Amino acid sequence: MTAFLQYLVNGLTVGSFLALIALGYTMIYGIIRLINFAHGDVFMVGSFVGYAVVSTVVAQHWPIALIIIVAMLAGMAATGVLGIVIEGVAYQPLLNKPRLAILISALGVSLALEEGARIQFGAGFSSYPGILPTTGFSIGGAHASYAQLGVFVLSLLMMLALYLFVQRTPTGTAMRALAMDRDAARLMGINVERTIMLTFLLGSVLAGAAGVMQGLYYIQINFIMGFAIGLRAFTAAVLGGIGNLPGAMVAGFLIGLIQSFSDGYISSNWSDAVIFGVLIAVLIFKPTGIFGERVVERV
Amino acid sequence: MNHSPSKITAIAVLAGAALVASACSSSGSGGGGGGGDAIVIGVPVPTSGDYASAGTDILHGAQLAAKKINSSGGINGKKIQIVAQDDACSAQTAAQAAEKLISQNIVAAAGGYCSTASAPELETFHRQGIPYVMAASTNPELTDQGFPEAFRTIGRDDEQGPFVAKFITGYLKAKRVAVGNDNSTYSKGLADSTVAALQKDGAQVVFNSALTPGQSDYSSYLTKVGQSHPDVFYYTGYFSEMGLLLKQAKQQGLNFTMMGGDANNDPTLIKTAGSAADGVLIDTAPLAQFLSSAKDYVQAYQSAYHTAPGPYSSYEYDAVGVLAEAIKNAGSTEGSKIDAALHAIKTYHGITGDFHFDSKGDRQPVAYIIITVKNGQFVADKQLNPNTGQWESVG
Amino acid sequence: MALANALRRGISTESPQTRLALRASITLAACVIALLIPQFLGDYAMSVAVTVVTYAILGLGLNVVVGYAGLLDLGYAAFFAIGAYTSALLELHFSLSFWEALPIAIVAAAVAGCIIGYPTLRLRSDYLAIVTLGFGEIVRITVTNLNVTGGPNGLYGIPPAGVFGHSIVSTNGLYYLGLFFMVLAIAFTGLLSRSRLGRAWRSLREDETASEAVGVPAIKVKLMAYVMGAIVGAIAGMLFAARFGTIDPTSFTYNTSVMILIVVIVGGMGSIPGMLLGAIIVIALPELLRSVSNYRMLFFALALVALMLVRPEGLLPPRRTRRGAYRAQPPPDEAPSSPAPAGRRRPGRGELLLQVTDVSHRFGGVRAVDGVSFDVHAGEIVSVIGPNGAGKTTVFNCITGLVTPRSGDVRLGGTRSLRGVKPHKVVRLGLARTFQGIRLFDGLDAVENCLVGLIAHQSRMLSLGGLLSRTTREDRARAMYWLDFVGLADRGHLLASELSYGERRRLEIARALMSEPQLLLLDEPAAGTNPTEKRELMSLVKQVRDTGVAVVLIEHDMGLVMELSDRVIVLDQGRIIAAGEPQQVRDDPRVIDAYLGREEDDDPDAGKSVEEVLGWRS
Repeated sequence: MTAFLQYLVNGLTVGSFLALIALGYTMIYGIIRLINFAHGDVFMVGSFVGYAVVSTVVAQHWPIALIIIVAMLAGMAATGVLGIVIEGVAYQPLLNKPRLAILISALGVSLALEEGARIQFGAGFSSYPGILPTTGFSIGGAHASYAQLGVFVLSLLMMLALYLFVQRTPTGTAMRALAMDRDAARLMGINVERTIMLTFLLGSVLAGAAGVMQGLYYIQINFIMGFAIGLRAFTAAVLGGIGNLPGAMVAGFLIGLIQSFSDGYISSNWSDAVIFGVLIAVLIFKPTGIFGERVVERV
Repeated sequence: MNHSPSKITAIAVLAGAALVASACSSSGSGGGGGGGDAIVIGVPVPTSGDYASAGTDILHGAQLAAKKINSSGGINGKKIQIVAQDDACSAQTAAQAAEKLISQNIVAAAGGYCSTASAPELETFHRQGIPYVMAASTNPELTDQGFPEAFRTIGRDDEQGPFVAKFITGYLKAKRVAVGNDNSTYSKGLADSTVAALQKDGAQVVFNSALTPGQSDYSSYLTKVGQSHPDVFYYTGYFSEMGLLLKQAKQQGLNFTMMGGDANNDPTLIKTAGSAADGVLIDTAPLAQFLSSAKDYVQAYQSAYHTAPGPYSSYEYDAVGVLAEAIKNAGSTEGSKIDAALHAIKTYHGITGDFHFDSKGDRQPVAYIIITVKNGQFVADKQLNPNTGQWESVG
Repeated sequence: MALANALRRGISTESPQTRLALRASITLAACVIALLIPQFLGDYAMSVAVTVVTYAILGLGLNVVVGYAGLLDLGYAAFFAIGAYTSALLELHFSLSFWEALPIAIVAAAVAGCIIGYPTLRLRSDYLAIVTLGFGEIVRITVTNLNVTGGPNGLYGIPPAGVFGHSIVSTNGLYYLGLFFMVLAIAFTGLLSRSRLGRAWRSLREDETASEAVGVPAIKVKLMAYVMGAIVGAIAGMLFAARFGTIDPTSFTYNTSVMILIVVIVGGMGSIPGMLLGAIIVIALPELLRSVSNYRMLFFALALVALMLVRPEGLLPPRRTRRGAYRAQPPPDEAPSSPAPAGRRRPGRGELLLQVTDVSHRFGGVRAVDGVSFDVHAGEIVSVIGPNGAGKTTVFNCITGLVTPRSGDVRLGGTRSLRGVKPHKVVRLGLARTFQGIRLFDGLDAVENCLVGLIAHQSRMLSLGGLLSRTTREDRARAMYWLDFVGLADRGHLLASELSYGERRRLEIARALMSEPQLLLLDEPAAGTNPTEKRELMSLVKQVRDTGVAVVLIEHDMGLVMELSDRVIVLDQGRIIAAGEPQQVRDDPRVIDAYLGREEDDDPDAGKSVEEVLGWRS
């Protein structure tokens, strides 16, 4: 039972990161039907920006909370700009071209970001200064640290903010309209280009925040860190029904839990196989993911 | 027609040009590399991809060795020249890197990092009769194939396992041991040989399973290790995962002894784990930093590259050094003569200690020590006295 | 400028013979270069060439899946791995030679293709991407974790391939061996693309629902794409194992799959020469950039993005998708003089063809069809009318298998139940249809559109012998016959997308008639046409009936319906409110009520597919 609780705590921590990144995949897919392979690398860039900031200001003896806020804002701002630039340069011109072209373009951007980071920061690991407290508390025999709690709460808050933005603001409504029918949205006077840009901004900002949190919590970062986590986050986005925001959040946590329980009860070296196995099994019975709407084709 | 021949021609010309250019670069760069005056030694290492930093470190070792040899007059009046090619730790790229090096007129090769890449490199060099002294590839298969061109200055994975088992059962007196690996060739091989030796030495292996590298969160893996109630957990993978394992074990309040294999002596481990790294035990072939014979080397490395040498560059330094001595002794750059000269060296006084090559081309003798972390620094801890069979402090 | 234009004009009026000669000479030159380059290049360049050849084979294989069938596959390296591991294990443990292991490895890959293909068949393309990726990873993780595959160490000491007692170990030898298999792969995939199966793939790629509705067994055909792709990939895997003598899981990662996909996209999906060029670029470009070693992958990545921006269809897209592409003009001997092809048995006039009994269906809470029953007899025209939303199209969907009704039964000839029968089988049983929103294969020409309709007859050929068979003269003649029947004899060479609206309507009817149905269901065939076109269409419907095919049609124009139909069925809110001869129905007060009691509105989205509504076509 203690072990079970421990797996639960561990899974929720991992899930917090996955959910934040999965949201970006799902938003971008929803709006332009693109699997943005570069998204995991945007997360990586956010992590490196946060690293640069934290290593610089750590000598200033600021309060930890301030350092965290400054680093996260910097990481989010940088990835937001990066997301817009990527969209404008590599995706925008390809929106109405054969769809695999944009996919390959995304793969190219992904590789370019990784190689760029390697050249800039080196192939080895960079280490965040360890500023988070390592202390924690116990729930039913399972250990949880305050840092884990912080990661969990912070990611929930950001997801809630995103959800409210998309559901309650006119811009959010425009995004949802665009996801349903780009042409109709354009006819209704929605600025399509700007809304797509905004979607990339939001998705990338969330990935950037996750990147900084990853660095603060796990300390070591490197230029390919976005690949493994990006793959799992993408899996979560599909599992939740790609294009569906609450689906991505729930599935992000779900994948975190599957990974954790699979590590614990099966074996860590089969984790990815288990995750993909669950995904395939779900898709066989529900071809549009857990929360995806059933598509009724009209003929 | 829009299926315009001009476009086809353009593309055909482009493709043709690509082929011709690659042909030219293969013959042209030979001139740039070889010439008549220099002895060219090829260094196939990963300089891109996941292991680029290890590869670059090894390349630095080779360059320092060449500099040293050249500043003291070279080999029989000829200078040594180092040419490197990226093998990206991939079999396919490695075969091409080796061919590329051959086209650059190398007389011998020294380097290699991933055994995956070293295998096709060795195969390619073997076909051309070019000696290959490996500095970091520890997979037993490499020299077990019996190629006369295969040598290495580093120990084999199957020699490290028994040493570790002896330490765990003999010095730590552990009864229950958990062993973890990362499912890489190296790590799995070390884990397998350690598990076999532990069982032979009478310890109970209560956990033996791999983790998925690159996952960042190993909390649940550790929870599972903890469920097996080990006295010692020995991890044979790399420092990046070990740092996280140490940190997350402490976070969960797990209190068994943590020990790592020889891929763990990297400062990143200490940065990642923070205070959780204190007291971790790591077995390793002696690092340059702990060897009196390598003091000058560490200094030279530091001043040239503004960082401490990594774990394998000193072995590469010796690989180039022993090759130079063999070429000098052979008085020839013919592959088979260099092979013979390498085998004929009775004792080579390397910065990693004195050694010679056995009939397979493996280094003898191989020494390991145990190091630990104190106050955020790696320090030497224990070594086995071969005469008394006792564990004694290094210092 | 003027010169360039003159040149272009000169080229565009070139005869097909000249073009053919040009193609032949380019091919010949390529062959000569391929055969001779070992004379000029050193070992290094040749080892790059061997890798290029390996990736060209992989590209050709993946091209079947992605290029021909339009199924995105991000886990293709799995087949590469299965070929390599199967052959290596057979050679190591059972001492088979390379050539003895070859057929077994091919079978293993084909089986794996079925296993990987099967669960993905119901998925739409983006879900397909992640599932194939997942399968690729599962295969890699499995070979990493199993002992029999050597775990992470992989397998060592795999013997080289032998030819006439000589082991092929030299780089040049490996190159020629690779070239041999590459030529085989070119021939094999080239044959596939021209075969009936190839046409079925293209139709699926264009419009899956329409393909099924004209008789393409979608699941089988998709599975075939995976199987064919897997076979080619396995051959590349065997070459890889024989070349290096050692294999381990790190050679078959997700990155490998991505590299192969890049070969396909950069070269131009669906194009065979494109695969060769793609492989040269993907493999040789990073090698050329070795001089800037630290930046080489960065440059490669940027070049990839730039290439996609400049040429999103790849460097050498196949002829048909290029705008204004060269297409075969109908040769004179294929003029529609051929007699009507002998088809299935024509039922006698008045024979019971279709019996719809108490069919009901609902979408969510809406009763779309509620207890509908009617019969159709041979040789009659039955019209189904009713206001928008009355459930007319849903009735058609229930009959043709696109929707399985919640209750009730549809019987063919009064005996064979069509409940739960897949759309493509319904066509085979003699029931063809058209769609309210025209669903043609826009990227195929009119003749090919018709030829897809023929697949309903050739289903057995899809499984074995007829698999690779090319289109016969009779097939073409039949297509030309029906094109002539609908008045499109001179339009056969045009892409469906290039036809006028009325012509598209008629082409859809011709395509349906290709399956030689006993019963033709037309969903608003005259919708959106002008009065003249409408007249023409209606006379076409009569002609169809006169060939002995019964016709059921949905139509709004009451005048036309009254004039044309033998019987009329009126639907409102899912129920039949009146049925009988036109005169009878016209005077029925319930009908007048249904039509006048509600406002006639035109749903702008009616007939659009979901993808169209979402503004995205896969």
